[in-house]
Amino acid sequence: MARVVPDDPEKVLVQAARRGDEEAFREIYRTYREPVWSVVLSLVGDPLQAQDILQNVFFKAFRGLPRFRFRSALFTWIYRIARNECRNHLRKHGPSVVPLEDILGSRYEADTASVADDGSRNRRDALTGAVMQLPFKMREVVVLKYQEDLSYDEMSRILGCPSGTVASRLNRALTELETLMRPSEGTR
Amino acid sequence: MNILCFFLRRKFVPYLDGGLRPGQAGRLEKHLAGCRECGGLIVRIRAGHQAARRFDRLSPDASPRLPEFEEIWARRPSPSRLSPALAVPALLAVAAGLVMLVAVSSRTMTSHSREGLVASHDIQAGREFTPLAIREFAMNSRSRIVTEGFVHNVYYDEQERTLHIKLVEGLQDPEPFVICEIRDVRGLTIPQQGSRVRVYGMARFDAQPGRGWNEVNPVMNIAVLNR
Ligand SMILES: [Zn+2]
Repeated sequence: MARVVPDDPEKVLVQAARRGDEEAFREIYRTYREPVWSVVLSLVGDPLQAQDILQNVFFKAFRGLPRFRFRSALFTWIYRIARNECRNHLRKHGPSVVPLEDILGSRYEADTASVADDGSRNRRDALTGAVMQLPFKMREVVVLKYQEDLSYDEMSRILGCPSGTVASRLNRALTELETLMRPSEGTR
Repeated sequence: MNILCFFLRRKFVPYLDGGLRPGQAGRLEKHLAGCRECGGLIVRIRAGHQAARRFDRLSPDASPRLPEFEEIWARRPSPSRLSPALAVPALLAVAAGLVMLVAVSSRTMTSHSREGLVASHDIQAGREFTPLAIREFAMNSRSRIVTEGFVHNVYYDEQERTLHIKLVEGLQDPEPFVICEIRDVRGLTIPQQGSRVRVYGMARFDAQPGRGWNEVNPVMNIAVLNR
């Protein structure tokens, strides 16, 4: 006799959402709103544009959920939508021209000499600025690996490329970051 | 770079993460000791890796209020929920709405005039805002909008540290209205009660208890049409 295996909670949630259960959608949104927001904001840099994109991501996710086939984890699927939305947005509108002060608020020191400052806050802000300067394909691997702590396999599913490509892209991103973070050159 | 370098370089970050098996790590270290190119490269990658490990999320102090679930849910069409008796009138209404939408879209403006500005927020060049009358907010699906109305009243929310402007279509009618939220009030000249203004920003529905109203939040720009 087959054993009764309790269903994976995520699967139960997605199946409920596919039946149009509003509470299930709400739960999905509650679970993924913050992580998707942080990825989108890090990729586009501008909170206002990120708000727009966040809405579109979940609108598309809710609309596309009936076609979700459980071939990947739900978060991988949603991240993939988010990443594509950001890429399309930047293709259409170009990179954000919002000054860093507007993104970082009071945390940002306009005086770039502060890169050499002892304060860890200034170093972190310089780092954020450097990550924002990376080309999109490099920035996204840095964001997914270091901010979201994803594995090469997960990144490769989200980015739709082999994990070897993820690895070499990450190498390029890190050498670029090293150049940008050098005290004498990080200010360019 | 030979083919061995090519494959070993893919292991650099897992190596720095301590994620390689001892045998793999040993082989990599041996290669690094003998290959100047890879040895130089891993020094740079290690520096980038150590910096990137400090990379954290930009939020929360960089975050504006995130959209409520209802704002996204409201955009989702759900024709399957309609009973057959309602479906035909609803479809006609949708068709009529589409005709109106096309008419409205053809008026879509790009904000370029900076005359009469009272808010210091910049509008990015070329970004389009869909015109939306205050009474149209209830059935709106656009997020980036421009609306016009009269300033019914203005108040400052100490707790949220935002300025709220209640906008109405006519000064005699308190409804329909929309609340415009301005977070950065530096350099802001508060528009006078009764003045007609044009507001650019994001259309939202505030579903918090005691609210349940439409708003422009955040406001990206305000133009006073008559002072
Ligand atoms: Zn080598």
